[in-house]
Amino acid sequence: MKAYFTYFKLKFISSLQYRTAAWAGIATQFFFGFVYIMVYIAFYESGGENLPMSLSQVVTYLWLNQALLALVNQFSRDQELFKLIREGGISYELARPKNLYFMWYFKVIGQRLASVLLRFIPLVIVTSLLPYPFHFGGPASFSHFVLFFVSLGFGTLLVTALTVFYPIITLVTMNEKGIVNLVMTLADILSGIVVPIPFFPKFLQVISRVLPFQYISDLPFRLYVGNISVQDGVFGICIQAIWIVIFILLGNILMKRSLKRVVVQGG
Amino acid sequence: MKIYFESLAMHLKGELEYRVNFILSFLSQILVFFTYYFIILALFTKFDHIKGFTLYEVLLCFSIIQFGFSFNEVFARGVDRFDNLIIRGDFDRLLLRPRSIILQVLCSDSDFVKSSRLIQAIIVMIVALVHLHVEWNIWKVITLILMLFSSCVIFFGIFLAAAAYCFFTVQGLEVRNVFTDGGKHMAQYPIGVFQKGFVWFFTFIIPYAFVNYYPLLFFLGRKESILYAFSPLLVILFLIPCVLIFYWGMKRYASVGS
Repeated sequence: MKAYFTYFKLKFISSLQYRTAAWAGIATQFFFGFVYIMVYIAFYESGGENLPMSLSQVVTYLWLNQALLALVNQFSRDQELFKLIREGGISYELARPKNLYFMWYFKVIGQRLASVLLRFIPLVIVTSLLPYPFHFGGPASFSHFVLFFVSLGFGTLLVTALTVFYPIITLVTMNEKGIVNLVMTLADILSGIVVPIPFFPKFLQVISRVLPFQYISDLPFRLYVGNISVQDGVFGICIQAIWIVIFILLGNILMKRSLKRVVVQGG
Repeated sequence: MKIYFESLAMHLKGELEYRVNFILSFLSQILVFFTYYFIILALFTKFDHIKGFTLYEVLLCFSIIQFGFSFNEVFARGVDRFDNLIIRGDFDRLLLRPRSIILQVLCSDSDFVKSSRLIQAIIVMIVALVHLHVEWNIWKVITLILMLFSSCVIFFGIFLAAAAYCFFTVQGLEVRNVFTDGGKHMAQYPIGVFQKGFVWFFTFIIPYAFVNYYPLLFFLGRKESILYAFSPLLVILFLIPCVLIFYWGMKRYASVGS
């Protein structure tokens, strides 16, 4: 266990080195947050009936989305793992007496946490000082807040389990674009990063309830703004746990399978 | 001009060498593009209109902006990915040749995978036009053509200004996206729907309003004056500072060496 944790720490510390990139990232995300919110404001000012969320809920949701983007989106993946596979570094990884799956798992989670920690705090501070309608609001209640933290933690474990699949698939396909990109784009839509799930057409809402993606970020964010009741939140967290177990088991099996056919590139 | 088309053909051949990769990337680009208008489709299931613009009117606006953007991604890729030229030091080579620099940059790269976006933008536009019941006349045809044209022009200008930015920073940082992708995202909706300050900014600084708002009003029959139909031509003025900035940056360019 300690060895895996060292991987986590290693990735974490080396990611923290890129501070200028983080500042540029904050500025960009801040701007994009504004752009997205402007669109919703224009829609809300035009009026509408039976809206699934209030404007301030949407705004807070969108800021959370921007602040935690590096943690929850599919595309913030670890380039290094793909490079290992493409250039043959995988042979060193295989020589190590540890479970490769968990080595990768902790690398990915370390990188995600590091890049989000740098961005999250400044963005939250600045946006909570903004006036209405751009204001980043507080949590709906104390219990919602606690559930938000728990489900965000579980969501992180879930998205990590999901993104470890991509290098595993690449072990077989040798190309990280193509299929992997298709899956990532679909996963981003269905996890509510493009549009919050409550704005989906009915049938898509039903579909995404059966799929794991909305449990990555949509569940914690909606818990924070109070769009989901406490009971439903607890229920959602249970589903998260089930998906995490399924994904980690599946990832391990797939990893074993593809390692049997792995081809080491280069020399 | 002939050089440009020859190099385009060359890049296309090059890309088609990796056929499977090309097809897969093409397909995934279709899906990526879908996420762009998925936002619009999803929001219009909950709202009837955005400041008086209906779904198909917004989709028309969206397709015109995406058309111009993708057009530049395919045909002016060299300007879009200008930082590549600078980082690799290849730009020095261009400076030695007795041809226009901008033409050479245009010839340096292209990306035909992105034509999947271009095609999809055209499809969305046709779908929107079919549903809109436009009363066609010669002026409206001209307006539509001018809108598409000005959309290509404005993004070329923005790409050029963003390229000039690489002369100073060497690497094209994320910040650059603020002007390209961020502006594009807003301009997918008729600029007039946003708050005053933004409308002002996107009329007089980056003139998106002349691409997708004033001519759109004429096209949809909300304004009668023919001036609105020809307002996209003003966008050409926007090119002047962009080209000047580019050449000004070039004068101050110091090679990265090697």
